[in-house]
Amino acid sequence: MSTPTIPDTCPRCDTHEVSLLTESPVPGRWSMYLCGVCFYSWRSTEPGYATDPATYPAAFKIDPVDIPKMPVVPSIPARRA
Amino acid sequence: MAYRDLRDFLATLDENGQLVRLTDPLRPEPHFGAAARAVANLTDRGPALQFDNIDGYERSRAVLNAVGSWPNHALMLGLDKDTPVKEQFFEFARRGDDFPVEVERADDAPWREHTLDGDEINLFHLLPLFRLNRYDAGSYIDKAAVVTRDPDDPEHFGKQNVGIYRIQVKGKARLGIQPVPAHDIGLHLRKAEERGENLPMAIAIGNEPVITTIAGMPLAYDESEYEFAGAVQGSPYRIAKAPLTGMDVPYGSEVVIEGEIIGGVREIEGPFGEFTGFYSGGRRQPVIKVHRVSYRTDPIFEHLYIGRPWTELDYTVALNTSVPLYRQLKQDYPEVVAVNAMYTHGLLGIISVRPRYGGFAKAVGMRAMTVPHGLGYCKVIIIVDDTVDPFNLAQVMWSLSVKLHPAHDLVVLPDLSILPLDPSSEPPGISHKVVLDATTPIAPEQRGHFSQEVDAPAETEAWENRIKELLR
Repeated sequence: MSTPTIPDTCPRCDTHEVSLLTESPVPGRWSMYLCGVCFYSWRSTEPGYATDPATYPAAFKIDPVDIPKMPVVPSIPARRA
Repeated sequence: MAYRDLRDFLATLDENGQLVRLTDPLRPEPHFGAAARAVANLTDRGPALQFDNIDGYERSRAVLNAVGSWPNHALMLGLDKDTPVKEQFFEFARRGDDFPVEVERADDAPWREHTLDGDEINLFHLLPLFRLNRYDAGSYIDKAAVVTRDPDDPEHFGKQNVGIYRIQVKGKARLGIQPVPAHDIGLHLRKAEERGENLPMAIAIGNEPVITTIAGMPLAYDESEYEFAGAVQGSPYRIAKAPLTGMDVPYGSEVVIEGEIIGGVREIEGPFGEFTGFYSGGRRQPVIKVHRVSYRTDPIFEHLYIGRPWTELDYTVALNTSVPLYRQLKQDYPEVVAVNAMYTHGLLGIISVRPRYGGFAKAVGMRAMTVPHGLGYCKVIIIVDDTVDPFNLAQVMWSLSVKLHPAHDLVVLPDLSILPLDPSSEPPGISHKVVLDATTPIAPEQRGHFSQEVDAPAETEAWENRIKELLR
């Protein structure tokens, strides 16, 4: 079977570090992709709302610049002496 | 009545007409989440859903809504499927009195049949993982029993924790997890990180429903979920050692994942559609590296739909939240009759009480806010008389409509702690809370005109029983 075409752009953060996460156990049914920046993942057979960068809603888009500013839960404690 | 495993419980659901098998070929998205949402929308007596023909898999099966209705919840407890909620509550509470029940250990767990290590692991091939809600960050595991030990006291069986936490599947053998700081796993992780260590863990997927219910129950830190599950199921809970980490996991699990939370690492996780009915937002949360997976032949992926109440989540945390609140309040105030804290995991609760004197009901309401679960929940507490069934919302609404006087019966407490997921909290984690006292005023609080309540005609109870029989 042919190698799946990996999408160029993450639907959620619009960066281009997309990799192949896995392919279907039954060959050729679907592929899943993973964004290496925001860790969004999606399946090739999902409806457009989950896969299309152009129509992914603004309220759920993630700007990579904001990721380091996100709350840390739980916070990392100091090491014991 | 103990169920051996998930398969045993599903067989009982089937015998009682509470399991639906979907055999037509379906893509996981959007159908699995949509079907689970739909069954919750339609009825509170709905069946479990079993998907037997999943696009891209040879033999995989997924089950949703296993405990997503009152009949299924009653069957979990080994009761008749038509048992009313209030009776299920009192039975659950009564069995809790038998805690602790010592566990039973066995070595030949069925999940020892197959093993994958290191680079062999691909969780997406092992289980039909899928996106539940439209804008979830990806595929999640949200109904697994997650087991960790106290790094400072690893041999203490009671401090070993079994909990349910949302887990984002970020790679074939890489996960993100949400260990809330106030929960036991949060304490375990903090201790591990203070020691400069990773936190070993086991994630048991696909279990009989009692351990899942108890794992989501707010027990004390050193109380064993397995020993409480034994009390609820009425016989010792059977566990087995996970081979790599030595964690005690349910004997009957479908899949046991072993790995460790990497100390000192946080990475973007979420958003995820939560039990509040809103997405959680993105946060930087811990990461799990998976080292080994053990599993039964053709494992069943048991999963839970979560979103705007009611969903299966609300059934699974209904009585396991109400009963501890009831037991804790009853210790100080024996006049407490019943507690219904099953709205959004106890963000709203209803307590029925026999007031001792004027002002007493308000004190009970404020006490609910200071029990351990109340610190993060109990934003709205409604107090009703002992003659009102707190599980009967028509009766509760009647109490509020005729007994509550807004000038006297509202107690607003400013800026208390609440779970940050409450979308109204501002800043996240802080909210005012309110007691709504809908009990009848009694001395020395003499007000209103409540002396001539309409009671039921003579023989009403006998007629209730007769009509019930006629309806059978």
